[in-house]
Amino acid sequence: MSTLLPPPKEIAMMPVDWVEERSGAISFGKFMLFRNVPKDISWLQTLGSALITVFILQSTTGILLAMYYQPDPDTAWSTIQWITNDATLGWLVRGMHKWGSSIMVVLLFLHMGRTFLFGAYKYPREMTWITGAIIFILVMGMSFTGYLLVFDERAYWATIVGVNINGTAPILGPALSYILMVGPEISTYTLSRFYSLHMLVLPSAIGGLIFLHMLLVVRLGVTSPPWSRMQPTEDDV
Amino acid sequence: MPRLTARERREGYQREYAFQKRHGKPFFPNAVFHDTIVSLIVVALIMGLTILWYAQFGPVSADPTAERVGGLLGPAYEAKADPGVLGYHPQPDWYFFFLFELLRIFKTPQLLIVGTIIIPTIWMVLLIGWPFIDRNPDRRLSRRPIALAIGVMVPVVLLTLTFYGSKAPGVGGAASTEPGAAAFAGGACSTCHVLANAGTAGNVGPVLDDAKPDYATALKLITNGQGGMPSFKATYTEDEISCLAGYVATWSAAVGETPGPNADTAKETYPASCEKAGGLFTGTASSAAGP
Repeated sequence: MSTLLPPPKEIAMMPVDWVEERSGAISFGKFMLFRNVPKDISWLQTLGSALITVFILQSTTGILLAMYYQPDPDTAWSTIQWITNDATLGWLVRGMHKWGSSIMVVLLFLHMGRTFLFGAYKYPREMTWITGAIIFILVMGMSFTGYLLVFDERAYWATIVGVNINGTAPILGPALSYILMVGPEISTYTLSRFYSLHMLVLPSAIGGLIFLHMLLVVRLGVTSPPWSRMQPTEDDV
Repeated sequence: MPRLTARERREGYQREYAFQKRHGKPFFPNAVFHDTIVSLIVVALIMGLTILWYAQFGPVSADPTAERVGGLLGPAYEAKADPGVLGYHPQPDWYFFFLFELLRIFKTPQLLIVGTIIIPTIWMVLLIGWPFIDRNPDRRLSRRPIALAIGVMVPVVLLTLTFYGSKAPGVGGAASTEPGAAAFAGGACSTCHVLANAGTAGNVGPVLDDAKPDYATALKLITNGQGGMPSFKATYTEDEISCLAGYVATWSAAVGETPGPNADTAKETYPASCEKAGGLFTGTASSAAGP
């Protein structure tokens, strides 16, 4: 019998080999992990990965919140109240989503500041910067659509001010306000529209752009600091 | 240094980066180690803020005009949204304070669009198009004086706006809930005039608490303007102007010992105009939220 069976190590590797043969996922993973990055990158280049962590955190807590939240003017506030006070660890999930959003905006500023000071947006990384800048604007859109959902006084009036800001734009302004609020004032439809933007449209757009952003980072490589001493001499060329 | 051609730039960059990669270190475990530590710190920070916030927030106040309850990190939530409340001071979350402050700087009807649309649009265009604006190929800060100046200036401006925005009383933030107060405080009036009842402190035009215009005078001035005061004929409807005039006549007269003329008659009639004009004069009148 023993002659018919391959050695145990080979049996264990069979599913891995099966996946690798069909998708190349294993060699891709190996490439991702063991590709070289410039020698002098360090703590300053960790903000991007921290942002991905926060994005995953926001998605996870957001999915959990969406399981209990009802986007309806009559019940929205009560469901928030219930999540915060009664649901098991609901305060933690909602609190982490709330504070995660603030931390995400702070990290975005720091990440962008680092990129700016390093001149990391220069040739050939212009597209990486542009995708990042659009992510930044979309995250501000997440913040704006997010705080109406609590449907407390602050949420309601701050949203009116925000929508009125859009409304001052020439020509398109009033139409934009109308589209955002689905009518002349905040109603059930406004709440479901903001909810849909907040949990479907904007997160998918941000997720897609993060993927593009990462693709460009891997393709072009991580930037070394501008003070890097790792310069090729004549002998290396 | 002579200007490099596109080809020289490309080849120079590729040579340099290929060298750095060849003499680099593998992503795992070096960069992964740093990334993991920072991500853990960030998650711990978020959890820490949440726990602190949870430990501190007090009961939710039923009175929406009351001071925000809760500890340093704010309440769990405020009272349920009530579109009928006009005395409320809306304030955005901190990351929109800079925009909020711009709105306060450019709050006259003619300039409003500068703060709401023009400046934010310019910022967005500059942000997205920045790699095409800064064509200097050098990455060292000592060779990028203009970029460095902008890089320092932008956060300073944003932080300053955010700071003053956080101190702002709020758009439409009237001190009282009298009819017309929210519109007076939230509109152009507050830019130039002091009126104790509305809690405004503009110092461009006359102090209304001293001037005590009667209803007819106020109506005429708001409609047609005079001297430095613009006409608001095109900005507000007749009902809105009547509401504001009545509010000003009534509540400027209520300050001090010498009541202005006609104050009592205006007090009777102007709330009806305010009722017709709606709450904040922004098309978001005091009707119910739900259908």
